[in-house]
Amino acid sequence: MTTDALLFMILIFGICLGGFAYSLYLSYKNK
Amino acid sequence: MLIWLLFLFIWALPILIIEMSIGKKTRMGVVGSFTHLMGKNYSWMGAYVAWVTAAITFYYTVVTGWCIKYFFATCCQGLLKKNPVEFWNNFSSSWEPVLFHFFAIAMGCAIIYAGVVKGIERANKFFIPSLFLLLIIACIRSVSLPGALRGLDFLFDPNLSQLGDIKVWLNALSQAAWSTGAGWGLMLTYAIYSHKKENPSLTASTLGFGDYVASLLAAVTVIPAVFSYFAFQANTKEQVMNVIEQGDRGLTFTWIPTLFSQIPAGTVFLAIFFLALCFAAFSSLISQLELITRIFIDSGLRRKKAIFFVGSTCFVLGLPSALSMGFFDNQDWVWGMGLIISGSFFLLLVLKIGPKKFRKEIMPEVKGRLKPGKGFDFLVKFLLPVQILAMLGWWFWDSYKKNPDNWLNPFSQSSVGTVLFQWAIALIVFLLLNKFLTKKMEAKYDDD
Repeated sequence: MTTDALLFMILIFGICLGGFAYSLYLSYKNK
Repeated sequence: MLIWLLFLFIWALPILIIEMSIGKKTRMGVVGSFTHLMGKNYSWMGAYVAWVTAAITFYYTVVTGWCIKYFFATCCQGLLKKNPVEFWNNFSSSWEPVLFHFFAIAMGCAIIYAGVVKGIERANKFFIPSLFLLLIIACIRSVSLPGALRGLDFLFDPNLSQLGDIKVWLNALSQAAWSTGAGWGLMLTYAIYSHKKENPSLTASTLGFGDYVASLLAAVTVIPAVFSYFAFQANTKEQVMNVIEQGDRGLTFTWIPTLFSQIPAGTVFLAIFFLALCFAAFSSLISQLELITRIFIDSGLRRKKAIFFVGSTCFVLGLPSALSMGFFDNQDWVWGMGLIISGSFFLLLVLKIGPKKFRKEIMPEVKGRLKPGKGFDFLVKFLLPVQILAMLGWWFWDSYKKNPDNWLNPFSQSSVGTVLFQWAIALIVFLLLNKFLTKKMEAKYDDD
C-alpha cells in the first residue's frame, strides 16, 4: 500500500470516525 | 471520495438539520409540515418530497427481497457451490423476486405496525449495532486476503484529476443524499416522535457520520476482495474496473458470491455479508414505510388501515421493478436524482421563512455545542442554491454535449429527458391536487 493512499485513508476515516465518536460523546453527555 | 465527503458537510448535514427542526416544530408528516410552514399554496411541495421517497420505496423493497433471498440461498441452498451468474439470471427471470418483494413489505409493515417505539426503535437498536459488527468482521476478513491491499490503494487514491467530471459530482451527491437519507423527509418524520430536548444538529451529525463510517466499511469490504480475486492475473486494475462498471447489482449479487467461494469458510462470511445487507435494508425500509404511512394518518386514516393501504400500494407499484431490470434501473436513476429537487424544496421552505427567523423560531432551543449560527444562514442563502443550480446546469450541459440527439428522449432508460418527464408528471399531478391536500391537512391540524 502506498504512503499517499495510507495517509488519505487515515484522513477520511479520521474525519468520519472522529465526527461519529464526537457526536456520540455529546449525545451521551447531554443525557 | 473527497467530493463525497464534501457533500456530507454542504448537503447532507444541513438538510438533515432542517428536516429535523421542521418535524419537531410541526409534529406532522412531510405534506402537513409544508402546508403549515409555507402556506396553503405549497402542499404540493411536501407531496412531491413524499412521492420521491415512495417511488424509491417501490423498488427498494425489491432490493430488500433480493437480500433476503440471497441470505437464505447462502444458508440453505448452497449458493457458493453454484455458478453465481447463472443463479442470478435464473432468480431474476423467475417469479421469486415478486415473492421476496412481498415478504420484505410484509415484514416492514409488521415492524411499523408495532409502533414507533416498540417496533422501529427496538428493531433499529438491534439492526444498527449488528450491522456495524457484521461489517467489521467482513471488513477484517476482506483486507486480510492475499493481494487485497491493492484494493485499498485504488479506493484511497487521492486522484484530483476526476474533479472535472460531472458524473463523479452527481454520483457523489446522489450517494450522499441516498445513504444519509437527506431530503427524503425521513428525519422529519422521526422528529415527530422525538423528545423536546433533542438537538437536531447532534442527531443529524450522529446519523450522517455514522452512515459514512458504515459506507466506508462496506467499501473496504468489497473493493479489496475484488482486487484479491484478480491479484495474481494480468491487468488486475482493468479487470476490477470491468467488475465495478457492472454496478452495485452485479457487484453484490454475482461478484460477491464468486469472491467468497474462493476463501476458507466462505459460506459463513457470505451469510454474514448478506445478513448485514438485510439489516441495512430493513433499517431504511421501515423508516420509508413510516413516512408514507404518517401522511395517510395525517389525512385522517387510522394507523392500521394506513399501513395496510401503504403496504398493498407498495407491493403493486413495485411489481414492474421486481419483474423488469430495465424498469428498475430507470426508476433508480429518475428518483435518485429526484432527491436533488426534494432537497431544494426543503431549502425553499427555509428561504421563504428566512434563515435567521428559521433558526430562531423553528429550530428548537438547545443547550450545549453544535448549535447552528450565522454559518447556517450563509449556507442556506448562498452555498446550497449555488450548488443545486450548478449541479443541474452542469449535468444538462454535459448530457447535451455527449448526446445531442437523444439527451431529451423521455423514453430512454437513463437520459435527462426521462428524468424531467417523470418529475414533471409528478409535479403537475400534485399541483392539481394542491387544494385537496391542503384541505385534508388543515382538517387534521384543526382536530389536533
